[in-house]
Amino acid sequence: MGAGVVLRDVVKAFGDVMVIPELNLSVDEGEFVVLVGPSGCGKSTTLRMVAGLEKVTEGSISIAGRDVTWERPKQRDIAMVFQSYALYPHMNVAGNMSFALRLAGVNKSEIQERVMRAAEMLELVPYLERKPRDLSGGQRQRVAMGRAVVRDAYCFLFDEPLSNLDAKLRASMRTELSLLHQKLARTMIYVTHDQIEAMTMADRIVIMKDGLVQQVGTPKDVYNEPVNTFVATFIGSPSMTLLDATFESEGDRVSVAGQGFKLPLPDRLRARANGAGDRKIKVGLRPEHFAGESLGDTFAPIDLTVKVSEYIGSSQFLAARVADADVIAAIEVGPEADLLSDGTYYFDTRRIYMFDQETGEAL
Amino acid sequence: MKNDAVRQIYYYTALILLACISLAPIWVMIATSLKDEVTVQGATPLWFFFVPTLENYQTILFGRGKFDTYLMNSIIVAVSATFLTLSLGGFCAYALARNRFAGRHFLANATLLVRMVPPAVLAVPAFAFVTLSGIDNDLAALTFLYTAISLPFAIWLLFGFYKQIPIELEEAAVVDGATPLQVFFRVLMPLMTSGYAVAGIFTFRIAWNEFILALLLTGRNTRTLPVAAAGFLTEEGVEWGRIMAMGTLIVIPPLLFTFFAAKQIIAGMTAGAVKG
Repeated sequence: MGAGVVLRDVVKAFGDVMVIPELNLSVDEGEFVVLVGPSGCGKSTTLRMVAGLEKVTEGSISIAGRDVTWERPKQRDIAMVFQSYALYPHMNVAGNMSFALRLAGVNKSEIQERVMRAAEMLELVPYLERKPRDLSGGQRQRVAMGRAVVRDAYCFLFDEPLSNLDAKLRASMRTELSLLHQKLARTMIYVTHDQIEAMTMADRIVIMKDGLVQQVGTPKDVYNEPVNTFVATFIGSPSMTLLDATFESEGDRVSVAGQGFKLPLPDRLRARANGAGDRKIKVGLRPEHFAGESLGDTFAPIDLTVKVSEYIGSSQFLAARVADADVIAAIEVGPEADLLSDGTYYFDTRRIYMFDQETGEAL
Repeated sequence: MKNDAVRQIYYYTALILLACISLAPIWVMIATSLKDEVTVQGATPLWFFFVPTLENYQTILFGRGKFDTYLMNSIIVAVSATFLTLSLGGFCAYALARNRFAGRHFLANATLLVRMVPPAVLAVPAFAFVTLSGIDNDLAALTFLYTAISLPFAIWLLFGFYKQIPIELEEAAVVDGATPLQVFFRVLMPLMTSGYAVAGIFTFRIAWNEFILALLLTGRNTRTLPVAAAGFLTEEGVEWGRIMAMGTLIVIPPLLFTFFAAKQIIAGMTAGAVKG
């Protein structure tokens, strides 16, 4: 078994309810891996199994090359940050951060030194004597991280640690977490339902649905090469639009066409189309690949009926329709532009995604 | 402004009235305990102006009866019943709060039903049970009975307190390397002080004050204070002064206990604030 964290043939059922039918996952040492998926997809359960808070039904888990499947959390050399922070309300910040060390019987001067070092790293020094209730949400969050940092564990586990923070704080904590990973260079497994957190922080993303891993890859991979419609629509914001379509060939040109649109395929995609025969497909169009005007040969016109346009500064989000299907487009028009309305827009055909209509698998 | 002032007057009048209603009997008790037999039996009851005497206290403490034995009995019974109730009740409440099984809420609430049974109803079966078990005339009998009476309420109350403590706190402690006992004593207990204090006050009070069962199940040497007080209802007459002196003394320990426990309630409340 390699180092890092390895889950092998892991199955988890709560009574008759199957939560994770089968899971194989290998996280390299020092890697920042994000498990992402909608609620109920089994990502938190997976993390809790790594932590040892849930027992696996079948399979094995190894951490740092050691089989820990049946070991208790304290023997696994892990630290965990909870969504609710789970700070001990009756202990001050220093007490919260040092609790694990005190239990482990580390001597006092070392405890003090390690708490100080973590507090400096997380800018918590002025608050060491305070109780959790006297701290703001962001500070509590940092204490929760401090509690993990002090441990200097082999593997850090994060269970949606930012979801109780407001949007602005969340963005800055994302940066702090990335910095923390750089500084500590520890293996980190992070669970979230927020694809932005996944995209911004992860070395690799694991996208889960119904207890099954859909795709594992770098943020670039999952954005550019989603393996199925679920991954395609889950990653990216606003979400990718999927339209029913078929292939149409005229000579050596191949297009994807459906109700109200026809987009010629560039060379790179044509090969895939040829392999697909005359299957019914779904075409995936990301909002950010629409444009207000043609920006080159690869741009093809598409008529949109605009229901609502949302002004968000230098671009606008259009909730629109192509024939009877809903489409979302993000058009960059500059901050002075008037609200956009019905008309011809352009789509960058290099960015077309194609999926099998039945299975949802990428072509 | 004016409205506020008027409201304050109403408010305080109501409070003073309520305080008087509550305190009047206590004052009657204390006043009577300080009167001699003649003044007590006098045709016009004197509320405030009489010559106080400690004669009644003298009789109780150094005269007839064995006040020190009765006091010890009461203390032993009340303290052990409280200790037993809190430890057993705490474990039950924790189990109910943390283990998910069908009907646990019903079970937690059903325990309250038991509390609605007045002790008098229990008197006959309790008497039979205790006598057959051969622990009559033994303080253990009272201790166990009071524990049984108080347990349902203690479980129900502590169940509520335990439910408020998020499970993540325990999980965090487990990940931090705490053993189950460490989780209990270093994380849960500090947050449960209010709950245990409240349950403790109720249990102690019941065990301390209970009369009917104590009257039935105690003998010469195992009498508790309330039973001893009733000893002054003699065939020659009711010795009000002595009964009231006894009453006054009986009130003191639970009062002290309550003050001590109430401090823990406040300590627990400030330790709490689990959520942000």
